[in-house]
Amino acid sequence: MNEHSGKILKIALIGNPNSGKSTVFNQLTGLRQKTGNFPGVTVDMKEGRLRFPSGFEATLIDLPGTYSLYPTSSDEKIVTTVLTNPKDGFYPDALVYVADVNHLEKHLLLFTQLRDLDLPIVLALNMADTAAEAGIKVNIARLAERLGVPVVSISGRTGENIQKLLFELEKLLKISASDWTGYAPFYPFREAEKQVVDAVQLNLGVDNPYRALIIAHHFSWLPFLQKQERETVAAIVQTKDFQSLRAQVDETLDRFDRFTPIVRQTILQPSVEPATFTDHIDALLTHRWFGPLIFFGVMLLVFMAIFFGYDITGGWVESGTGAVIDLIGGTLSDNWFSSLVTKGILPGLQGVLVFVPQIALLFLLITILEEVGYMARAVFIFDKTMRRFGMNGRSIVALIGGGACAVPAIMGTRTISNWKERLITVMVTPFISCSARIPVYLVLIPVAFPDSNWWTKALIFGGMYFFGLAAALGAAAVFKKILRTSDPSYLALELPVYRMPHWKNVWLTVWEKVKAFIGGAGKIILYISIALWLLGNSGPAGALENAEKEVRAQVSADVSPDSLGDMIAAKRMEASFAGIIGKTIEPAILPLGYDWKIGIALLSSFAAREVFNGTMYTIYSLESVADMEESEAQNQRPFERYSRLRQQMTNDKFDNGKRVYTLATGVSLLIFYALAMQCMSTLAVVRRETGSWKWPLFQFVFMSGLAYLCAWIAYTVLAKV
Amino acid sequence: MQRRYRTISDMKLNESALTLAFTDPALAGKLTAMGVLPGARIELVREAPFGQAYYIKVDGVRLALREEEAASILLEV
Repeated sequence: MNEHSGKILKIALIGNPNSGKSTVFNQLTGLRQKTGNFPGVTVDMKEGRLRFPSGFEATLIDLPGTYSLYPTSSDEKIVTTVLTNPKDGFYPDALVYVADVNHLEKHLLLFTQLRDLDLPIVLALNMADTAAEAGIKVNIARLAERLGVPVVSISGRTGENIQKLLFELEKLLKISASDWTGYAPFYPFREAEKQVVDAVQLNLGVDNPYRALIIAHHFSWLPFLQKQERETVAAIVQTKDFQSLRAQVDETLDRFDRFTPIVRQTILQPSVEPATFTDHIDALLTHRWFGPLIFFGVMLLVFMAIFFGYDITGGWVESGTGAVIDLIGGTLSDNWFSSLVTKGILPGLQGVLVFVPQIALLFLLITILEEVGYMARAVFIFDKTMRRFGMNGRSIVALIGGGACAVPAIMGTRTISNWKERLITVMVTPFISCSARIPVYLVLIPVAFPDSNWWTKALIFGGMYFFGLAAALGAAAVFKKILRTSDPSYLALELPVYRMPHWKNVWLTVWEKVKAFIGGAGKIILYISIALWLLGNSGPAGALENAEKEVRAQVSADVSPDSLGDMIAAKRMEASFAGIIGKTIEPAILPLGYDWKIGIALLSSFAAREVFNGTMYTIYSLESVADMEESEAQNQRPFERYSRLRQQMTNDKFDNGKRVYTLATGVSLLIFYALAMQCMSTLAVVRRETGSWKWPLFQFVFMSGLAYLCAWIAYTVLAKV
Repeated sequence: MQRRYRTISDMKLNESALTLAFTDPALAGKLTAMGVLPGARIELVREAPFGQAYYIKVDGVRLALREEEAASILLEV
């Protein structure tokens, strides 16, 4: 075991979709898990720490759910790739195979394939709690004997027998480390397969016969094969006239024929299946009229919850973080460092933290929809609609998820097997208004429509979501005409039984996503606010001092010290490097109605959209909040800081005395932020998912170009009104 | 001449029939792996609200299939 070899053992968790695998993963690892969801991490899979009763530890890897080693989509391909290549970084020392005991006769195909790969396996019969309720009885000892592997009956939901599973797994690891002899083949090859397998084993030096067969089936795409190996296998397959598709189906049927009697002999199932809870619910949720209506109702509720939620929590977080900033500011002596912290970094971070409750709520609601099994129904209902736009029913999951964050949504498109449908989904998902746009919208809508009542603002907020959706579908329709593919396209989807969400799963998912958001956005904002502070507080030699002198010389004596301070700060900002950069790009953005300050915010927003708020806070705090009275600072009421930002924006003027933020500018900015590709994380994930910089670059250019064009049209039209 | 088989699109709602064979090898691979086997009993539960897809049940497992996928399954008359 690892005490001897010194390397940490890897265990992979595997099973069919809907086997309750992720619940088991969370039971086994709890908070000791991480996902390589974000750029810079090359890991795509969930990884966790496993602690055995004896105290010894191993790494647990959560593999995507799949039905067999004959994959059609790229997440299924990951499983085949990892498990047929002993040199792979994720190649496990042993497997925990999770099967739904309620449908064991459907869940053992992949199990028998993995067993033939000679990977040590523990079979975990999951959902023992619901099986007991349904009157299903399993002869565990007999099943273990017939399948030749340890079998444990568990429940991921209640945690039943999880320790026993760990115990069996540790025992298996000890055996596999000392004298592992492998399993007797479950599936005997047919003559054609035997010939191909022998040739592949001989030529490629593959020790396991079934691995050789898998290579013969998948040589065209298996990434670990060398070019020469690929050619060798291609030649073998051709000379032996190996009919891959046919052989796959025959093998699958043979395996079913072999394990179905075993299941029948060891599991006692009540013969009559009554119409269940799920059937009754589906009669409504997939109903011809009510189905789509309920879907739109649910979506409306989700986005209303987010808007109203902000009204409640935004003030708390704002006054809370504001108090912290003042507290920190109070302890620091008055020098450049305290200025950097209280006027650079902290306001920038505050601009993001204010929206964490919203983002958590959005992830919570979407995770619940997934957990209860509703997403699969949405896929079923909208498959035809999505296909009309060149996508797949599964794209609806990405589009809904894109409402929270495009990064995990784009990674989720791996379940789409057709390259064109998947690419279109990847390309248009960032048009959906993600949580990072919420802060920007919430600042800009009141600035653009200052006199409208609350309900109008809420309607405009909702309208932004429709605008994003329309842009996504419009772009998809265009891509559909341009792109060509011969890939097969599938729906074939299992509709899981409805169940109460498992709250531990939900909390862990939300916690992980929020952590990733704060970590990712927080880091970017930290760097950008430091950079902004530096650029805003320095300039060409003597420029800042000259600007200050100039103001003092021009101003008459009766100006109050407060407004004098404001004017000095504004002039200094303008003379600083930040001001120079902003002024340089001003000609390019003036047609859209933006001044140089918005220019700075736009530039920094290309890292991440929510940086807009942080940047605005930093710019305006450098400019005039710097001279805020001490008493005023302590009088932090909910929304005060926030409305002050709006106030400052609303009062801001161009050099010619015209207000910067008019209806035209506000709408133009809203449109720009709805359409532009302003997210480094998304571009990085698109690069990874499409395999080259071609698509993310194209996406950046077409989205931002469209944003510029539409914002320009909106400004030009509205400025005349 | 009487047809020897039919497909899901010929079925009425809540009707069930035994599967005989598959017409498309690629789809057959996918469907069999999901447990739609020759000899299994398929029940048509409903059509998708906007059409072109079916909600079926096979041995207590619920599946959503597209028209083309459903058409590749030959059923007993």
